Amino acid sequence: MKTSGLRRLNTLYAGFAIMGSALFLSSAPAQAAGDLLVAPTRIVLDGQRGTEVILNNIGSETATYRISLELRRMTAEGKLQDVSPEDANSFEKAAKGMIRYAPRRVTLPPNQPQAIRLGVRPPKDLADGEYRAHLLFRAIPKARSVTEQASPSGGFTIALTPIYGVTIPVIIRQGNLQATAGIANARVETSDSGQAFAFDLSRTGDRSTYGEIRVLKQGESEPILVARGIAIYPEVPSRKVTLPVPAEIAAKLTGPISVEYYEPDNAGGGLITKSQLVLR
Amino acid sequence: MSKFIKAAVASSVLAASVMGANAAHAATASADARANILEQVTVTNTSDLDFATIVTGATAGNVVVDAAGAVTCAAALVCSGTTTAAGFTVAGTTGQTVDIDADTNVTLTNAGGNAMVATLTESATTLTISGVAATDVFTVGGSLAVGANQADGAYLGNFDVTVNYQ
Repeated sequence: MKTSGLRRLNTLYAGFAIMGSALFLSSAPAQAAGDLLVAPTRIVLDGQRGTEVILNNIGSETATYRISLELRRMTAEGKLQDVSPEDANSFEKAAKGMIRYAPRRVTLPPNQPQAIRLGVRPPKDLADGEYRAHLLFRAIPKARSVTEQASPSGGFTIALTPIYGVTIPVIIRQGNLQATAGIANARVETSDSGQAFAFDLSRTGDRSTYGEIRVLKQGESEPILVARGIAIYPEVPSRKVTLPVPAEIAAKLTGPISVEYYEPDNAGGGLITKSQLVLR
Repeated sequence: MSKFIKAAVASSVLAASVMGANAAHAATASADARANILEQVTVTNTSDLDFATIVTGATAGNVVVDAAGAVTCAAALVCSGTTTAAGFTVAGTTGQTVDIDADTNVTLTNAGGNAMVATLTESATTLTISGVAATDVFTVGGSLAVGANQADGAYLGNFDVTVNYQ
């Protein structure tokens, strides 16, 4: 689906047939072409008709980046799941249809930033609501050289290429939208990868909420845990928020606590909701 | 604040009227300094998913490179060399929580249509940026299924790794 026609050879395994078995050898150095910087990390257009996003090549060599508009849906687990164009609902189709952006492909030398212009052209009869798509920035891997592409005789090579990038949401709000949120069922979870503070974040209304979670222990003024960039999107009434915590923080997560959800500073910094809970 | 401004405006009006119509007006020039500070994210690739050297035999087997880069080799195969998991560093605003998404499978195929499948595992699906580069990392390991007498050829595959902002 997101496979690019050009692939970069990261790891080369050269194989030789030796006594009925094949030997794979690793060669070819790793080259991190495609490292990237994206700013800002979230776009909300509430009446404005456009903005721009900065893309910078922070790698050590020239790289070509592709910018595309993707659809993602939030799951009950709070993950963002890819939505194929065929499965898109009317809101998602409308979002994709009204967002214009350029350029869509750009080649940048190291430390060369490029502004990606983004404009919105909502249709005249656009229904009130929140429309969202996700802008994906990703480097196109370098083309393999002819010798690397050639199939070796009596052995084989393996090229496993990571294609990595960043998505940021682009949110368009039409009309006067409201939302409220709630926090419940806070707990400390232990899994193979360590401990995590988890709770259920619920939402009602016709738009998403976004902000910062602060966890305070009763009687202490400094939060013991702060997590920025927590959203709940309109497609889910509730999501699980899982915040991995180191052991020393997990040890403090007992007894009465307050979980608070604030808007980001640039949106006023107001309290969205807070909940007093007791952890066992 | 607004009271203060009103008072200041009133007093300057008063001063101007006291000084009379002949008061000289000082020429002033103003310049606005503007800067739009944006929150940023950077993603850097620090290592590749490397299965190192594998010697195949008559029996199929898996080569597993875990999230830490350590290898587990099936009895039917011989593994040697240094393996690494694909490593990535994420930098951004301290406290920012990001979602990490990697493909679960990658199919490696050669020109003859032979295939090998590697199952991928990421070390974390959520990362809260601490501001310390050494800890703001995630890795992708994999399990490569090597067939019995795996056919020759150039096997190619790529996998997607995405850092999602909410």
